[in-house]
Amino acid sequence: MNKKFSVILLCAAFLFSFTELVFAHGEKAQQAGLRMRTMNWWDLEMTPKKLEINEVLTITGKFSPSIWWPRHMASPEDGLAFLNIGVPGPVFVRVDSRVNGVPMIRSTQFKLGETYDFEIKLKARSPGRYHVHPVISVEGTGPIIGPAYWVEVTGNQDDFENKITTLTGVVVDLETHGMKQIIGWHAFWIVIGLLWIGYWFRNFPVLMPRYREVARLGPNKAGDIITFKDMAVAIVFFGGILMAIAGSYFYTQTQYPITTPLQTGEVEVLPLPSQGDVVQLKLEKATYRIPGRSFEVKMEITNNSDSPIRLGEFMTANVRFINKDVMGTVERQDDLDLIALEGLQVEGGSIQPGETRKITLRAEDALWETMRLTSLVYDPDSRFAAMLFFFDDEGKRYHMEIGGQMMPTFS
Amino acid sequence: MSAEYISGDSPDEEIDPNEERFVASAVKSREEQLSAYKNIEIATVPLLFLLFGGISVFLFALTVGDWDFWMDWRDRRWWPLVTPFSLILLPAVLGVFTWNRFRLPIGATFAVMSFVAASWVSRVMNFQNFAGFPLNFVSPSTWVGLGVLLDCTIVITRSWFAAGFIGAFLFGLLTYTINWPIFAPFRMPIDYHGTMVTVADLMGYMYIRTAIPEYVRIIEASTLRTFGEAVTPLTAVFAGFVTILNYYLWVWVGHKILKSAWMNKVV
Repeated sequence: MNKKFSVILLCAAFLFSFTELVFAHGEKAQQAGLRMRTMNWWDLEMTPKKLEINEVLTITGKFSPSIWWPRHMASPEDGLAFLNIGVPGPVFVRVDSRVNGVPMIRSTQFKLGETYDFEIKLKARSPGRYHVHPVISVEGTGPIIGPAYWVEVTGNQDDFENKITTLTGVVVDLETHGMKQIIGWHAFWIVIGLLWIGYWFRNFPVLMPRYREVARLGPNKAGDIITFKDMAVAIVFFGGILMAIAGSYFYTQTQYPITTPLQTGEVEVLPLPSQGDVVQLKLEKATYRIPGRSFEVKMEITNNSDSPIRLGEFMTANVRFINKDVMGTVERQDDLDLIALEGLQVEGGSIQPGETRKITLRAEDALWETMRLTSLVYDPDSRFAAMLFFFDDEGKRYHMEIGGQMMPTFS
Repeated sequence: MSAEYISGDSPDEEIDPNEERFVASAVKSREEQLSAYKNIEIATVPLLFLLFGGISVFLFALTVGDWDFWMDWRDRRWWPLVTPFSLILLPAVLGVFTWNRFRLPIGATFAVMSFVAASWVSRVMNFQNFAGFPLNFVSPSTWVGLGVLLDCTIVITRSWFAAGFIGAFLFGLLTYTINWPIFAPFRMPIDYHGTMVTVADLMGYMYIRTAIPEYVRIIEASTLRTFGEAVTPLTAVFAGFVTILNYYLWVWVGHKILKSAWMNKVV
């Protein structure tokens, strides 16, 4: 039996040796429809991607809560939202985070369909290689995870420093601040507790003799076991502890005369100025052809700008489909950068100023499959949303969100 | 020592269920008896310490959880109310057991000491070593003094009613005060990018918790602010009363458990 078990165990270990390490943060976990219709992220930049302990990583980008946000999910317009970071624990410390220049120490609200700039500064704390995501946590919904890049931190964590100056001018090291008080007061009370238990266990053994005595005396007379000395000791402990609590409180007040309660609240963030109705969109039909992993959108576009515009990028659920004819060669930033470099074909060409034209786009790539977006077909609400990026002749960019019903094609 | 009179159950012989035999005790002298008692205590007390530590940390994680895990959650309103309400359970039940069966007023102290010890293990192993948070940000609160106070009231008053009225009340009332020496260094104010925060708030912001956005914290959320600045004493008194009621409930449960047939078989 043991031999059989050992063989099975060895086989299992051999098989598991072929599996890849898992670094996922839930990029593919949510329903495809939810990922498409919650938060649009773009222009994500992280610099530098290799840094030493104590160096600062800067993350910048833009996001826009989808106007097709599912009605059954709380939106950042209804409740609160918080700009967060998806990393495995405090491997960085967040030294700053801002949305449209407003510090994001506290929570806020974001309006659907509006655009926001964000910037996060992280100080490297633990060596390792991390997949770093910006995240918007939405009250009642949970974290909406953004795109990510790999960042490598080198050095020794012992060199990490995190000092801050309080309003009273005291410099504190947040890594060790307050440990003296924590250890000291815990040790003090544990000694008191041990003294109390030790008093009752001074005539070892205690439990069985007392148990037998209590059983012999019965519940009415068992109290006789407690002696006058026991009473006196209890009174001394009782009074001493009350005095110690009061004394420790007033002593602490002299050590920390200025304290404030924990702080919380909201801040207001205004969205970026609107780009206006430069581009107007009207969805005619959206289909997803399952065998070809091809998403096709027919739409009517009106160009209200002064220059001809062309569709350069289709972005949904953090996956970018690039029209190479417009954007040229786009570099992948790392092996998990979700870009289909030649994934977007557009029929209809450029749209002249003032012109309204019907165009058809096809976003095709295996990323539909690998990012589990094909499961949109099986969502109870088969609707999609995506961000379209148009470029004029001078390279100026306009973004516009499109969304609506999606119809699957099974052959 | 006298032999005990029991029915026969030897596996090596044919058993006649009607046959009755004498089996001699293994204990031959008073010294051997004491030695056996010592061995029982040496074996059981540490095991009980581990058991109650595990139970209380699990219970606390389920009922209080983040409120006591993080320094930036321990506010003046909810933390001093929720924590003693949850934590009084085991001191009450164990107090009934140790007092009624042994006349030993150590149940509450034993329960909170096992809880504090298990909390330290959990915070060091899980939160510091595994998750990487600085220990000062996740260190446990202290309760041992309150457990001893509760035990003292049992000895002094020898009444569950009075022990609840005084001891349990003090347990809730002094929760915040006894922990203030630990909390105070984390309540110093800081100007951080134009926002006033405490040291604890800033640590909560800096040390990234992806699953705990800022708005999840429940910081003094209630209408007790209508009492002006008396938030801490008002909450303390209220926590005291709530703890009395919960203490009586669990003392009653403790008595019920002691009267149950299975417990009488165990002890």
